[in-house]
Amino acid sequence: MAHATTAEPAAPRAALSGALERHRVLAAAAFLAVFPLVAPFEALAVNILIHGLYALGFNLMFGYLGLLSFGHAALFGGGAYLCGIAIVHFGAPWWVAIPAGIAGAVAIAAIVGALAVRTRGIYFSMVTLALAQCFYYIFYQASDWTGGENGLRGVDLKAIALGPATLDFLDPRTRYYVVAAFVVLALWLLSRILASPFGAVIEAVRENEARARACGYDVTRTRLLAFVLSGAFCGLAGALNALHLSIVPIESMAIETSGLAVMMCLLGGMGTFFGPFVGAAVFLLLESIVSVWTVHWQLVVGAVFVLCVLFFPRGIWGSILHWAAGGGR
Amino acid sequence: MTATTRRRALAAAAAGAALAASPFRINVLRAQEGPIRVGFPVPLTGPYATEAQNQVRAAEVAIAEFNESGGLNGRRAELLPRDDRLNPGEAATRTLELIERERVNFIVGSLSASVQLAVNNVTKARRVIFNSISQSDAINEASDWSPYTFHEALNPHMTAGAVGRYVFSRFGKRVVFLTADYAYGHEMVRGFQRAGAPLGIQVLADIRHPIGQTDFSTLLPRIQALRPDLLIAINFGRDQQITMRQATDFGLKRSMKIVAPVLLYSARVAAGPQAFEGVVGGTSYYWRLEDTVPSAKAFNDKFRRMHNGAVPTDYGALGYGGVRTLLEACRLAGSTDTDKVIEAMRSLRYDYYKGPQYYRRCDHQSVQSVLIVESKSRDMKDENDVFNIVHIEEPNEANLRTCAELGHAG
Repeated sequence: MAHATTAEPAAPRAALSGALERHRVLAAAAFLAVFPLVAPFEALAVNILIHGLYALGFNLMFGYLGLLSFGHAALFGGGAYLCGIAIVHFGAPWWVAIPAGIAGAVAIAAIVGALAVRTRGIYFSMVTLALAQCFYYIFYQASDWTGGENGLRGVDLKAIALGPATLDFLDPRTRYYVVAAFVVLALWLLSRILASPFGAVIEAVRENEARARACGYDVTRTRLLAFVLSGAFCGLAGALNALHLSIVPIESMAIETSGLAVMMCLLGGMGTFFGPFVGAAVFLLLESIVSVWTVHWQLVVGAVFVLCVLFFPRGIWGSILHWAAGGGR
Repeated sequence: MTATTRRRALAAAAAGAALAASPFRINVLRAQEGPIRVGFPVPLTGPYATEAQNQVRAAEVAIAEFNESGGLNGRRAELLPRDDRLNPGEAATRTLELIERERVNFIVGSLSASVQLAVNNVTKARRVIFNSISQSDAINEASDWSPYTFHEALNPHMTAGAVGRYVFSRFGKRVVFLTADYAYGHEMVRGFQRAGAPLGIQVLADIRHPIGQTDFSTLLPRIQALRPDLLIAINFGRDQQITMRQATDFGLKRSMKIVAPVLLYSARVAAGPQAFEGVVGGTSYYWRLEDTVPSAKAFNDKFRRMHNGAVPTDYGALGYGGVRTLLEACRLAGSTDTDKVIEAMRSLRYDYYKGPQYYRRCDHQSVQSVLIVESKSRDMKDENDVFNIVHIEEPNEANLRTCAELGHAG
């Protein structure tokens, strides 16, 4: 991103944003290392990590590929349930349970994706929404496996054995840094994917589908692959959520969870790397702080959301990037 | 001010300053003499907000009463309410906050089955006592239960059993169930069938409907054609309101008795007198209990004094019971040490607001009375007087599922 050719005072800003862009995973890791010191409490910081990752996975479809999915709750919830079931019903260790969650979400993404990627625009949203509701119902009804209405309880991970060392997963700080390690790893992977030729193809499909096809790219397969990758990231977020809360509520598959990802992405800035993360952080922090001092917190959070959409259509992070690159508001 | 008291005040201030200056002493002070903190996650927003706010108010009464009577050797109690939004994930997060950041001594709260199971899963892993104040059968079962789990509320088995034993022997044995299709509904039907089996009831139909159904009129002719003695409508909130209104309009009440296993004060107040007229149901508490039970009178008066003459609701009263049992157990144990408080809770024989109660040893379920109430539209003492208490089923362990059935050893 070396377009510091605009006005003179914008140059240092552009240099800063350029450096941030080049070393974005490093910057994120540094920020996440000190984040628990400023967050109100660790459980909320972990929630922000997990929902940030979830929104990031969603943004791969929404921001980079340009398809609005309303079914990502099935991927998040699927990852959470499969990870939980591996622990509760099979007594699996964490290094089996987390991949099981990711695999579950990938499988669901493959099924939903195979049926949905041929559609576009509002039709894609509707098909993903309908299929996600199907998965919600399947998991709701399979109460012997999932606990149904009551949710899955007993996803108890008390310690993580790493060779000779054992980490106390009940300790809030330790739990935060374990989850943060997974999130940084996922950020790095996502950053690599977006910087790869495949990442360029994704954006080409978003910008001009016909032209991408004319250049010889298989648009349908690109979309399916992106959806499955998005599923893997959301599945990891779901699995980490199951371990963090030690339960999997049926609500994690519900339509509100799908809507949450859309909201966080819009708030932070769709199509930017950190936007969804910023959106998740702002949304959850606001919700948590305001709801302690008034029961009318929904009014405050809703007003902030409306103001953001009206005056910062690029989202919070998107507006900051735009300003840093030397543009007006 | 005389010289001695001034000197004493100065000495106290100096001691206080010295204490404050020493970081070591402050830590000791906080550990031993800091307030007893009770975390209270309830759904302050959403469909049960009114009920949850009543729970907080009732819990405040228990806290104020404890502090006014000297606390635990001068150690005061404080309440930390949190909004769980009726969402198990949020409830688990808030419980983590309360334990890890606020360092609460106990957790009391929750207003749905799935939320209380979520809170319970978090507290039991961290060995923090949780006293649940909403209905669930699962929380008594060995797979969810832990020594740190207490259940102050009724459970569906006890409620349905008491209501069933009352209505089957008085109004007839031909029964139709109209059930909301989720865990609560299924647990209730199971409870009714268990209570009805020895009485020889005949179930004509068990009609299931999804939660949030807005029209029951297509089901009503079918129910009428079955000619039951009893229609047991097992649903909640708005579903229940619509069922009652449409059943009344359709004239079902002329040929059968309508039963709502959990008949809530707030639901009846919201729906008005006509829809619920003559409906019979069960509840854990109704404020008119004060006519016969002195502890109910004492509790209601304290609640009225603190909250502008309002009366506590059924779930609200549980907020009082849930907090007060823990605080009294602290006094009995002389400390807030978890193991000592558990022992004290197990030995409590208490009558705080509704007559005698105690926690069963094997599952910490509060053994208590169940009130059978009938909704009325006439002879109301004031606008809050909406039910007649027609029967009280006294506390009896035989009405609970046995410890062995729940999977407990003893």
